[in-house]
Amino acid sequence: MSQVAAGLEPEVTPGQEITTPAGNPWRLAAATFVENKSAVIGLVFIVLMAAFSFLGPLFYHTNQVTTNLPGSLKPPSSAHPLGTDDVGYDELGRLMLGGQTSLEVGLAAALVATFIGVAYGAISGFVGGIVDGIMMRAVDALLAIPTLFLLIYLFTVFQANVPLMILVIGLVAWLVPARLVRAETLSLRTRDYVQAVRGMGGSRRRMVARHIVPNTIGTIMVNATFQVADAIVALASLSFLGLGIQPPAANWGQMLSSGLTYVYAGAWWLIYPPGIAIVLTVMAFNAVGDSLRDAFDNRLRGR
Amino acid sequence: MIGYTVRRFGQGVIVIVAVTFITFFEAHLMPGNPARAILGVHASSAQIAAFNQENGYNHPLVVQYFDYLDRLLHGNLGFSYKQNQTVAALLGEDLPASVVLVGLSTIVALIVALPLAVLQAVRRNHPSDYTLTGASLLFYSTPTFWLGLTLIDLLAVRIHVFPPAAPQGAAVQVLAHPAGLALPVITLALVSIASFSRYMRSSMLDQLAEDYVRTARAKGVKERIVLWKHVFRNALAPLITLLGLSLPGILSGALITETVFNYPGMGLLFWNAAIAKDYPTMLGVTIVVAVATVAGSLLADLAYAVADPRVRYRAA
Repeated sequence: MSQVAAGLEPEVTPGQEITTPAGNPWRLAAATFVENKSAVIGLVFIVLMAAFSFLGPLFYHTNQVTTNLPGSLKPPSSAHPLGTDDVGYDELGRLMLGGQTSLEVGLAAALVATFIGVAYGAISGFVGGIVDGIMMRAVDALLAIPTLFLLIYLFTVFQANVPLMILVIGLVAWLVPARLVRAETLSLRTRDYVQAVRGMGGSRRRMVARHIVPNTIGTIMVNATFQVADAIVALASLSFLGLGIQPPAANWGQMLSSGLTYVYAGAWWLIYPPGIAIVLTVMAFNAVGDSLRDAFDNRLRGR
Repeated sequence: MIGYTVRRFGQGVIVIVAVTFITFFEAHLMPGNPARAILGVHASSAQIAAFNQENGYNHPLVVQYFDYLDRLLHGNLGFSYKQNQTVAALLGEDLPASVVLVGLSTIVALIVALPLAVLQAVRRNHPSDYTLTGASLLFYSTPTFWLGLTLIDLLAVRIHVFPPAAPQGAAVQVLAHPAGLALPVITLALVSIASFSRYMRSSMLDQLAEDYVRTARAKGVKERIVLWKHVFRNALAPLITLLGLSLPGILSGALITETVFNYPGMGLLFWNAAIAKDYPTMLGVTIVVAVATVAGSLLADLAYAVADPRVRYRAA
């Protein structure tokens, strides 16, 4: 602990208030996070991918609406740096459009899932008893049906679009943060310092809002980051199967759905660019999540 | 422990009942009404009336639910009008092949992941730890379908190591073709290896930071004993829960793997049913998958309670 604090001691001019990192857990967490190279690389990659997806089309104009069958399945060339797909769309331009959908759906679905999950888990774990039992059996029942089976059924029944995709993926994904937060709450509420709040006449709301939820913030943020990664994979998997957002709207998974047909024809440019885009983006979010975990875990600090 | 087992088993039953609520609700999500959705747009009104009569769809919802529960308890998972077979018969053909796929890949994953994780935890922040952590992050972040695609491209199309398509037929025939089984098992195992080793590594690190480790070292216990007898065993406990919790994910992965490799399991059955809008088959498979998941998590929790008695917090 001491060597970390010493290394991060801010330059202090006389009269200025001294704030040591040890006195400010957020700053210490941020310092630990920045020290971690993979986290910074991940974060930079996410920013670059967002720029590529949202700003790229402003500079690289392609026709992603009308098909061009004579120009389909062309290998990479100067006109099409990543070739064209089976209906003649430019792969590079499509990669940008696909990135927009992936990032939008991933972030929004993770927000939906985290918000519901934290509230549900904290209440269930804190109240305990029969309420906790009922609330957790409901989570268990939904968790018992593997996500993909539930999502495929729902999108066989409903036609997918972006808002529905966000809502459904979010509504399916809140179960894990709910369980995690509930489990931490169960352990936290018996800790001496939380019991001390009760002893000093603090309200139940104060115990949950000021002492329990802040102590699970690490778990929450780590899980939220992983949720983004999972939502991007869920979207890609559904789209790969042909149940995602329909063309001409683009999505990385949907770009790969014809890959299985053309893998035998050696059309590598249809398989690798979208696949690598998914893997690197998901990896970036997972790397950030891992580092957040290290940053928030007191016991790992200074080691 | 007996009290805990009974209570936990009761919870399992409650969860299954709750699952039947969900599938019953799903059945009523079918576009139009179930008769239209199942029989198709060309069904005559007489056929629809007969269908509603036969399946009790003209009864009140509560009666319909209890009828549904009654049928499930008698092992009647529904009837696939598209394939003109009972869902139970369809599952009887395809379920064993999925058990083979999921079982083999999980065993392979555990055998590979546990030693890797211990190595990483002991060599924390050494180059070998960075390499393995990077590799597991890579595979953990790779969608199953793309992993399958690249393995087909690399190991079946470019270099002919394994056949690209899975063996067809029942579980026994599947097992008779280990070469064809290789790519699907590797695909599913790689994702699990990444997830198991990630958890095990962090679980080992958590345990290594505990006071009892310092105590053991202070009293002169050999590092090898500290590691394997104290740390490894304590670190394994959370992994039991992870195994139980991973089952739905592994089954989702199996669905994708079976679709990519055309492997004749439950996931492919479900997916083909989705394409054909064969709702009864989809719901029947969902019930079976859910029961398997609940049973898996029940076993995991019981095993965890045996491994770590502190878990039985309300089991006095």
